[in-house]
Amino acid sequence: MIRFDNVTKTYKGDIVALRDVSLDITKGEFVFVVGASGSGKTTLLKLLLREEAIDSGQIWVAGREVGRLSNWRVPYLRRNLGCVFQDFRLLPNKTVFENVGFALQVIGRPRHVVATQVPQVLELVGLGQKAGRYPHELSGGEQQRVAIARAFVNRPLILLADEPTGNLDPQTSLGIMSLLDRINRTGTTVLMATHDAGIVDQMRRRVIEIDHGRIIRDQVRGIYGIDPTPSTTRGVPAVSLASGSATTLERPVHSEPRRSRTRH
Amino acid sequence: MPISVAYVSRETANNLWRNRLMAIAAILTVGVSLSLVGTALLLRQAVNNSLSALQANVDLQIFVNPGASLATAATIKSLTEQTPQIKHCNYLDHQQSYDNAVKLFRAQGEAAAISALTVATTPPVFQCTLVHAGDAATVATVFTGQAGIFKVEYPAKSIHTLESISRVAQIVLLVLALVLLVSSVVLILNAIRMAIFSRRREVGVMRLVGATAWFIRLPFMMEGLVQGVIGAAIAVGMVILGDVGIRALLHHFPEFQNAIVPGHDVVMTEIFVVLVGVIVGVGGSAVAVRRFLDV
Repeated sequence: MIRFDNVTKTYKGDIVALRDVSLDITKGEFVFVVGASGSGKTTLLKLLLREEAIDSGQIWVAGREVGRLSNWRVPYLRRNLGCVFQDFRLLPNKTVFENVGFALQVIGRPRHVVATQVPQVLELVGLGQKAGRYPHELSGGEQQRVAIARAFVNRPLILLADEPTGNLDPQTSLGIMSLLDRINRTGTTVLMATHDAGIVDQMRRRVIEIDHGRIIRDQVRGIYGIDPTPSTTRGVPAVSLASGSATTLERPVHSEPRRSRTRH
Repeated sequence: MPISVAYVSRETANNLWRNRLMAIAAILTVGVSLSLVGTALLLRQAVNNSLSALQANVDLQIFVNPGASLATAATIKSLTEQTPQIKHCNYLDHQQSYDNAVKLFRAQGEAAAISALTVATTPPVFQCTLVHAGDAATVATVFTGQAGIFKVEYPAKSIHTLESISRVAQIVLLVLALVLLVSSVVLILNAIRMAIFSRRREVGVMRLVGATAWFIRLPFMMEGLVQGVIGAAIAVGMVILGDVGIRALLHHFPEFQNAIVPGHDVVMTEIFVVLVGVIVGVGGSAVAVRRFLDV
């Protein structure tokens, strides 16, 4: 579903955001991308959306090479990618229904489709009764649910979430994660950048850790910090993981054979 | 993906309403500048029409001193007959010249001038038709200063004066119109820029959910177009009003009938004004969308 082949991205002033990154995410996976601020998590998501262009390498999304897409095809790529952000990015002058419907409206879906799909997705996120409310009348968690509904209403193949629980309390965050998990079970691939150790540790899904633009860890059922259990790693030498800190793991995971990973 | 007309219309109307002050300023500036463009074009046509009429009946009038003897008049007559550039001349004596002057002054409503005129003081005149209109100035120099001749008049003088005045007026109007047109483009550009700024959140969401570039751009482009077209409509109204007013005014002056611009010329001018309005509107918004809208 998503593949990065030796992707490098550098910003102005020789700031390396991603360095020779390779990874493979299959359909229906739930993947956490973790790492310190400035490590390259958000850049990874932006490259998938073609908000930024790569310097070298290749990115494949749903069988299409993102870098080779002509500009006029980029919107069609984005229709396969739902996006959720820490700051919700709702339109304050539109109701919940209008905010969600807007995503369908601007890609030219007819009114009857909007009228059918929006209530369905609002029910899914638990806001069926609040369709007429404005964002300022909702709690943070509810606003994030609206944002998720907007991202999912078009039934995208992939859902990208950039720190979706960053502005929420732990209890509300759990509710949001439960929602993302439900969406993932419908077959939608979910790629979520986060700093929330509690959630990552609790969900035990695949974890990709980025540090200074390199992938330093890729675990099938990982936790936020270093998991010393060697068998859970994807491609990272077990000896390195067992030996201690993340700083010792300088080799990117793609340097190892992909088939060597083990799932628990 | 087909772009819904209803969506574009609604968004354009919303944008115009949100930035109504800027929109009104842009529309009025377009209106005023295009009114000036239309007026300058009509003025040029009126002057051209008058000039061609004048040039078609080009004439030379040799005014004889009111006190000159009949013998002097006869000498001048023979001189005109000997001048090859002159086709023929009509001689109007004191009485005929007086009647002609009275007729002219009456048509112009100059009652005071008529009362000041007497048969004796009205100079007799030779009204001559030339073989070639362009020779008027040359022939005039031959007669000017001759004994018994009061003055020599030919329409080229008026043509020259009329041309100079109209040229200056046209240049002033067109320069003013050009400056205002540039202001209109800048105002429309700024209005669209503000609209883009005020809708940046929506534009961001539209990009993320996969709206095409034209779907995002079109309402902004339409906003500029609407401003240009409404401005042009105001200008069309102003030019029509001006034309009607001038026609009503010239109705009282039969000698200026040629200055009236025919209806189809007015229509062509109006079409041109609307086209310029469209170009100004679309041009201003296109620059704004290109520079400030990130799709």
